[in-house]
Amino acid sequence: MKKKLVSAVLVSAMAATMLAGCGDTKAPASTQTGGTTDAQETTSTVEAGTGSVYMLNFKPETDDAWQALAKTYTEQTGVEVNVLTAADGQYKTTLQSELAKSEAPTIYNIGSTADCAEYADYIYDLSGSALYDHLTDKSLALEYDGKVAAIANCYECYGIIYNKTILQNYIDNYEGAVISSVDDINSFDTLKAVAEDINANVDAINEACGTELTEAFASAGLDSGSNWRFSGHLAGIALYYEFKDAGCDLIAGQGTVTGAYLDNFKNVWDLYVSTSAANPATLDSGTYNAEQELGLGEAVFYQNGDWEYSAFTNPDNGYIVEASDLSMMPIYFGVDDEKQGLAVGTENHWAVNAQASQEDIDATLAFLEWVITSDEGRDAITNQMGLTAPFDTFTGDYASKNAFAAMVNTYGAAGKTSVAWSFNATPAVDDWRADFIAPLTEYTERGGSWDDVKTAFVDQWAYYWDLQNAQ
Amino acid sequence: MEKGIRKYFVIFALPTMIAFTIGFIAPFIYGIFLSFCKFTTVTDWKWVGFENYTKIFFINGNLDTSFIHSIWYTALFTVVSVLIINVVAFAIAMALTKGIKGTNLFRTVFFLPNLIGGIVLSYIWLMIFNAILQRFDMTIVTSQWTAFWGLIAVVCWQQIGYMMIIYIAGIQNIPGELIEAAKIDGANAWQLLRNVTLPMLMPTITICSFLTLTNGFKLFDQNLALTGGNPGKLSQLLALNIYDTMYGTTGWQGVGQAKAVIFFILVALISVTQNKLTTSKEVKG
Repeated sequence: MKKKLVSAVLVSAMAATMLAGCGDTKAPASTQTGGTTDAQETTSTVEAGTGSVYMLNFKPETDDAWQALAKTYTEQTGVEVNVLTAADGQYKTTLQSELAKSEAPTIYNIGSTADCAEYADYIYDLSGSALYDHLTDKSLALEYDGKVAAIANCYECYGIIYNKTILQNYIDNYEGAVISSVDDINSFDTLKAVAEDINANVDAINEACGTELTEAFASAGLDSGSNWRFSGHLAGIALYYEFKDAGCDLIAGQGTVTGAYLDNFKNVWDLYVSTSAANPATLDSGTYNAEQELGLGEAVFYQNGDWEYSAFTNPDNGYIVEASDLSMMPIYFGVDDEKQGLAVGTENHWAVNAQASQEDIDATLAFLEWVITSDEGRDAITNQMGLTAPFDTFTGDYASKNAFAAMVNTYGAAGKTSVAWSFNATPAVDDWRADFIAPLTEYTERGGSWDDVKTAFVDQWAYYWDLQNAQ
Repeated sequence: MEKGIRKYFVIFALPTMIAFTIGFIAPFIYGIFLSFCKFTTVTDWKWVGFENYTKIFFINGNLDTSFIHSIWYTALFTVVSVLIINVVAFAIAMALTKGIKGTNLFRTVFFLPNLIGGIVLSYIWLMIFNAILQRFDMTIVTSQWTAFWGLIAVVCWQQIGYMMIIYIAGIQNIPGELIEAAKIDGANAWQLLRNVTLPMLMPTITICSFLTLTNGFKLFDQNLALTGGNPGKLSQLLALNIYDTMYGTTGWQGVGQAKAVIFFILVALISVTQNKLTTSKEVKG
């Protein structure tokens, strides 16, 4: 008898462990039936409360704020809101598996027009939505196939982050300073002169100014955690000028590039490498931390974007720079430095899943409208997530507090034109970037030929473009 | 007893069979089906026939060698790692069954690396390698061969301890009488090893070489964390190459799936052959 009992327990335990992984752990939402949407054309004024919202969040650092916001919304309206955040770098993997489920995300992130093509069947036309009405700059929406496919939920800028306190200190206290005001840096040539001077005379400057510099530019890491700053953002400036000359859409791009501005890219890149303390031969080792170099006052310049603001101002990171030390200048490219502003754009667009049921779509649109109009939503986006939202509802207390983002308007007021994020046009983006970084690494670390870099830039672009658009 | 087993066979086997079907057989068959489709998500497919398979080798009308490169790179990696791991693990196992002082401590120490996950282990080694190579103006991904030997070092360090434990168990299972008899017959140490220990160990060798072989082919974590496929994509082993195709190249999920099917066939063929070969050398008791 005992034995039978033991074996019965064993069998059930085995069954339980084997099958546990198959269970659906998500709390049951309101009944939802895949693609079988009832005819809904007459009931367009569905009250929020019948559908549910499932958001697949793109930015891991905003997860806490979204979870709290979802809870608040559920408490106020009774509509269920699930927020799932994909791990850093795993968004595509997560999105593909989540979309295949019967309870698929109703809101997901789309990065570029190329993404639109991939998720064409899942794109809901947002043209009539409140979200689109509130969007201040309609160019921040992605259009695809005659639809407003996705709407930017924040915009970001990148350029050269610099420590203006150290720079001012250098001007005031170092006799050999090559500029007399921070504003003198308004072209590639002056930037180069300043960076080279600082890097060459680091010890003398430290002595005269009491700083702890080791270099002018923070290390230009070529490892995968850092190389997107160059294969994406820096190359984006070269692409921008090229698309501008070609007269094509600056963000959608075109199928062939010529690399006309790669010489400018090379000048900037050489400057980054030669005015940094990092050993050029080991830039891909992954042992450098450029953010830390600027944060600890070891470097003056650092090419990155306004998303770094929260990292620099977060007291937990132990950085010595303060918000008042930080500013950002355009990546002067030696093309049209007088007119060039910061690079402004986004890879964060909300798209609504067209294959969700109509109730869920309506609930989703209502939720998004609430996020950008309610006090709770605006507070979360601006103050907790630290984002700069492109909607006309974000004014007064809800205007962005990001010092870098504020520079966009400063440069705009000075008559400079923001650079579009032309790298969003990159076909097969991961592959193209990898193919571009390989010869760039060869060139930087082992004296490889620059022609190889140029060949990769031009040929691989056309190659992946064909590949992506061949059906 | 026989009758009892037959009677309860279903009860005991069914849960596992169901789970195995749900978790393995069904996705496997579905996966083969998907390799003939173009798909974004697994529920949303379009039949394209053999197009995915031709795309592995011919892209834009040109021969693409990246998959072939990763096949031979993986094969070479597997051969080298199987040899080193098994020879070294066997040697250590022999040394640690001689009854020297501190045997248990040594066994534990050698086994420990296996307890650390592949990703963590590789990041630790990445720091060690780069710190050393920095002196020579190199990094672990300076060339595909530095990456190769880096991977070999990490994988050997991780797996030798595990295989050592299996070899120790095998060696301890050899009956003492056999060895004693051989010694009385005047066999020297080499003859003892060649004619008694090794033949008696064949079942263990079968297991260990099978494990290291499949581990070598399937290696992913260490590859991703240590080299990430760099430089270029030259140090991509097969699993990483498939992953990269699946998630890196837009719209190529089907091609990634087709590569995975080829990968399966390859690994299945090789390990079945290896198993047959070594099993045939086992001493039948």
